[in-house]
Amino acid sequence: MASDMLSIAASGARAARGALDVTAQNIANASSEGYVRRSLRIEEVSASGGAGRNGDISLSGARIAEINRNADPFLQSEVRRTNGDLQRANTELSGLSNIESAIEQSGIFTSIVEFEASLQQLAGDPSDPSRRAAALAEANTMANKFEITATGLDSVGAGLRFDAEAQVSEANIIGGELARVNLRLTRAGSGSSDRAALLDQRDQLLERLAGFSAVTTSFASDGTVAVSLGSAPARSFVQGGTSGVLSSAQGADGTLSFAVDGQPTNPGSGGLAGAALALTALATTRGRLDAIAGRLADTVNAAQAAGVGSDGSPGAPMFAGATAGTLRVVLGSGQGIATAPAGAAAGSRDTGNLAALREALASENPAQQLSSLLFDVSSTVAGRNVTQSALETIASSARISLEQQSSVNLDTEATNLIRFQQAFQASGRAMQVASDIFDTLLGIGR
Amino acid sequence: MINLSTGAFFERSTQQIGVLRARAETLQSQIGTGERIERSSDDPVAAARLRMLARSDRMATVDTRNSQLAEADLKLADQSLSSIADLVIRARELAVQGAAATLSDEQRGAIGIEIKGLRESLLSLANSRNIAGHALLGGQATGAAYTDDGVNAQFVGTQAVDALEIGEGQSVVPGLTGPEVFDFAVDGTDTDLFAVLGSLAAALTSGGNAASQASSDALASLDAGLEKVSTAQTVVGSRLNWVDLMTERRENNAERVADERADVGGADIAVTMSRLQETLTVLEATQASFVRLSNLSLFSMLR
Repeated sequence: MASDMLSIAASGARAARGALDVTAQNIANASSEGYVRRSLRIEEVSASGGAGRNGDISLSGARIAEINRNADPFLQSEVRRTNGDLQRANTELSGLSNIESAIEQSGIFTSIVEFEASLQQLAGDPSDPSRRAAALAEANTMANKFEITATGLDSVGAGLRFDAEAQVSEANIIGGELARVNLRLTRAGSGSSDRAALLDQRDQLLERLAGFSAVTTSFASDGTVAVSLGSAPARSFVQGGTSGVLSSAQGADGTLSFAVDGQPTNPGSGGLAGAALALTALATTRGRLDAIAGRLADTVNAAQAAGVGSDGSPGAPMFAGATAGTLRVVLGSGQGIATAPAGAAAGSRDTGNLAALREALASENPAQQLSSLLFDVSSTVAGRNVTQSALETIASSARISLEQQSSVNLDTEATNLIRFQQAFQASGRAMQVASDIFDTLLGIGR
Repeated sequence: MINLSTGAFFERSTQQIGVLRARAETLQSQIGTGERIERSSDDPVAAARLRMLARSDRMATVDTRNSQLAEADLKLADQSLSSIADLVIRARELAVQGAAATLSDEQRGAIGIEIKGLRESLLSLANSRNIAGHALLGGQATGAAYTDDGVNAQFVGTQAVDALEIGEGQSVVPGLTGPEVFDFAVDGTDTDLFAVLGSLAAALTSGGNAASQASSDALASLDAGLEKVSTAQTVVGSRLNWVDLMTERRENNAERVADERADVGGADIAVTMSRLQETLTVLEATQASFVRLSNLSLFSMLR
């Protein structure tokens, strides 16, 4: 079979046009999210000569063999893993910071100190009605601050759970999308631009999914992916064209547990793991705050019961409620504060019972307890801050390595533009030469 | 070949500039507030220490108030005691006069009336009030310290005054009770100034030899009474000194607490300013080099 110079040149021009198209596509998508740089593989088309025609030149030009997608699966899985860790740290840190703010900014510590100070002030003149009223008002403020803190902590929990629910439903949508992408991948031709776009989509979906929970992936040769969610144990989530259902359930203490198709799992990393960790910390903090409020109420009420008020009647309880959220002042007026010991006459200035109350409070020391609670939360936040910035550095360097490897460099594309433009022009010149040769042949007979 | 992606370049640059900006803003807010710690997690240990310092600061202000109260009460007691001492001295002068044999019964009667008047004044001094409106010498009772039936004055207050806390675990007894001022013993017999003055006035009014005898007998009792009153004055004086001493200590302590607060939580303006300057210089350099590097595109060469 003989060669045909014109068609060889035409195939070269076609290949160069294709390469220019790919270059233009790369330039257009230089800042597209998740776009992986494409490159063309151009291969020679030639045939081996038939029997008895071994000496023939049989060349047929070039053709576009494949559109390459320059993604490194290892770097991609690193990005997924490190990003999942970062999301976990981010969610946990923001939950813990909110817990810290709820306790610190409600001013509960100050209100306990003010209550103690008002009792100390009352010791100066226990028969002064204004000092009694001030002490009761501070008790009221303190009870309110406990309630504000409890409400603040509740809303932190509600926020964390709301975000987690949203992530669960988004993960389910992504699971469905991945199953659809899997189905389309089985139909896409190998090396086609359609397939490259689907793979981009697949990797983007996987990355978003890894932001919610740990994912384990296994890729088939046709590009389809099987995904398992969570760790210890991981549960199969997407298999071929079907996807499972991720669900979350709220425990009595407000913590969350997760399951895939009803099988319990542990998110391991990602935003859901962070939310679960923050909610556990929240439940512990809430328990400690309730305990402080309960013991404070018990201490004050026990001391009240041992003394008499300014009218000589036995001391009534000052506080009701045993948790931070329910703590409230039930003593009607400051005259009811039992400053004098039992048996003292009405209007007594004896501060015996007030001294006992202050001593009991000093040994219970709610201010110190609250300060240690705040210290524990804030030192956890400080520690997590360090972890988070380390994970951020790791995640961003993983992302940068992936981008360096897989995304578009405009300078390279500019070079390619010139290179393929020249290839196109050269093929055009070859066509002209073929035409000249043809003209020469036609002119022989004249 | 390493492919230097355009996207990676922009991402890295944004990140670097963002980090520098955040650092500059933190330093700026430290300068603005003068506080190094914005929230507890910035430095948990220092924040916990600051909380405890703020607490002791708050308690010290109440201590100061209580101490001022004790001081005022003690000063009032001191003034009353001076008046009481003057009054006893005057009574003794009158008793000396009354003991003179040359006086007529009328003159003794007049002296008796004055002594009766002195007894009334003594009673009202004994019932004088402190700044909170309670009897100065009535212990922990509200209302009067003494009731009088014209012959015997009865102490109706409590027998002790509760000590008042004035900081650092120290306390002071902010007053005296009536018996501590007025009750004493003469020749093994318990008596008080009201009884001495009452019986003297009665004896002088009734006249005769018994009157001059009663006057000379009263001298010993009045001396003992005066001694008791001066003792009480000494006690009050030493308590006032104690309050003064504690006030000074509290002031020193407040200064120490303020120093420590500044050390633990304050931002050093000089250091913070120079750090801010450094950060801003680096930030400006990064921004300038970013602009120049991002202009370096091959496309700008293609014409």
